[in-house]
Amino acid sequence: MRWGMVIDTARCVGCHACTIACKAENESPADAFYAPVVEYEVGTYPEAHTEYLPSLCNHCEDAPCITACPSGALKRRDDGIVLADEDVCIGSRACMNACPYGAIHLFTGAEGEMLADGTRTLPTVQDRVARERHQVGTVSKCTYCAHRIDFGLENGLTPGIDPLATPACVVTCPAECRIFGDLEDDTSPISLYLERRGPSEVLRPDAETGAHTSYVG
Amino acid sequence: MSADTVIRTPEAYAPEARARHNGHRPENVFMDRWRLEPKTQRVWGVSHAIWFTLMGVGGGLFILARALDLSSRLGHWFGIPLVDWVSFVAISVGGLILIGDLGRPLRAWRAFVNIRTSAISWGAWADLVFLTLGGLLVLPALRLGSSQPFESLPWEAEATSGLGQTIEIVAMAAAVVVMVYAGGVLARPRAIPYWHSVNVPLQFLFSSAAISMALVLTMAAANDVPIESGDLWILIGFLAVLLVTIVAHLLTRTEAPGKRESLDRLLRGRYRGAFVGGVIVLGTIIPLVLAVVALAVDGTRDALAIVMLVLLVVAGFGLRLLTLRVGIFPPVKEVPGLFKP
Repeated sequence: MRWGMVIDTARCVGCHACTIACKAENESPADAFYAPVVEYEVGTYPEAHTEYLPSLCNHCEDAPCITACPSGALKRRDDGIVLADEDVCIGSRACMNACPYGAIHLFTGAEGEMLADGTRTLPTVQDRVARERHQVGTVSKCTYCAHRIDFGLENGLTPGIDPLATPACVVTCPAECRIFGDLEDDTSPISLYLERRGPSEVLRPDAETGAHTSYVG
Repeated sequence: MSADTVIRTPEAYAPEARARHNGHRPENVFMDRWRLEPKTQRVWGVSHAIWFTLMGVGGGLFILARALDLSSRLGHWFGIPLVDWVSFVAISVGGLILIGDLGRPLRAWRAFVNIRTSAISWGAWADLVFLTLGGLLVLPALRLGSSQPFESLPWEAEATSGLGQTIEIVAMAAAVVVMVYAGGVLARPRAIPYWHSVNVPLQFLFSSAAISMALVLTMAAANDVPIESGDLWILIGFLAVLLVTIVAHLLTRTEAPGKRESLDRLLRGRYRGAFVGGVIVLGTIIPLVLAVVALAVDGTRDALAIVMLVLLVVAGFGLRLLTLRVGIFPPVKEVPGLFKP
């Protein structure tokens, strides 16, 4: 079993629903967004338009974050999911500088919304939730919603098909641009999609990470 | 709803909201942060530059003073060579700075866990081995008042016996790792192209060696030990190789995404004065010239050693800090025509 995700950027409408669904599902700290949608403009006026690049942890086969972490807090499960163990993390941030995708986030304990001038607003309810869920001074990241996958498998559901067993960002996407499933199963949604759409590309191929998140479109 | 309940209109909330936001709009992460563009790393900074510098100098000092057989001639404190004290203190302080900078300092022992792949773990073990063996090596020389409580240990601080030499060699090997691993921490991952080069650990190594040599020369001057021409040649060699590695790093893979932006900041942007004027000219070329002058004019050596030390320490710290400051992640996706600096 090797979980992976393919993102069809041609389908993305830039609604950021995945970002918000992820934040709600994982109760991530205020400044940490595990699934941001990156924007960029292409072309020149009047032919200019915005393109969207939904992003998240790439759950790399040769994950540089795991290599760099001195404490062994970052580990890859047998199914390919890379997890950060906040109970083990020492907060060296080596993983953050080793990850080419900017997918790892340090919980500094800062509360409130960051303002444009660098100051912050008052704490919010979400800050309190994040403090209960996460440890200050440690890193956290996208887990491919491993808790949902595990729950689904325990209850006979199929990740990538059954919503309760599928990452929140995938389930929420109104344009169905995220396709999730088992890369080693030829009948999984991701394998069938890749067979139909042709080969996918990974981000930062120069980093040679063996990313399990790839892109078409 | 009680009679006392006051229903406030949106207008009534406005001043309060403005006060909360301190007159500024909240950062809009959608618009302000998530753009496909080069991103500068912001998690490592001044404390890491100090850590890198102290580790390099501590390791270099121990190796050079012993390799040149100078440690016993550069002063003593409690019977132990002063140069060894400086080395141990530099590495200990560097280690403490690193621990203090961790998000969870009380778990610092876990830095030893991932020795299989993590350069930080290699460094943690090297620090431990160096401080343990280096400390044990000099212990027989420890003098408390008129007594030497560890004199009976089966080796001697000068490492003249087989056991002493073995301890010294292992300690020196650990000191080499201590000097190099900080550069390795930066150079191993491919995420930041400016860092991903063998030239980064080499720069750190030769910068540390040059600072250590200048410190040895300064301590020699302070102890009325004549500065030999051979010592100055060694310093000249370190500085020459340092200059070559800096230039080589600036001239290779100049158009690689990410490195292009780093070079732009160093050579044309906000760090130009500090890097070109400070690190390269004042911190490398001028000390190189001064070392040649000291070589030619015997009477200037003591004074020039101090000047070179000051220049090299400032430039060595600057080299490391600027290397960190220009650590730039290229955009995760290459889009032709965008992001030219």
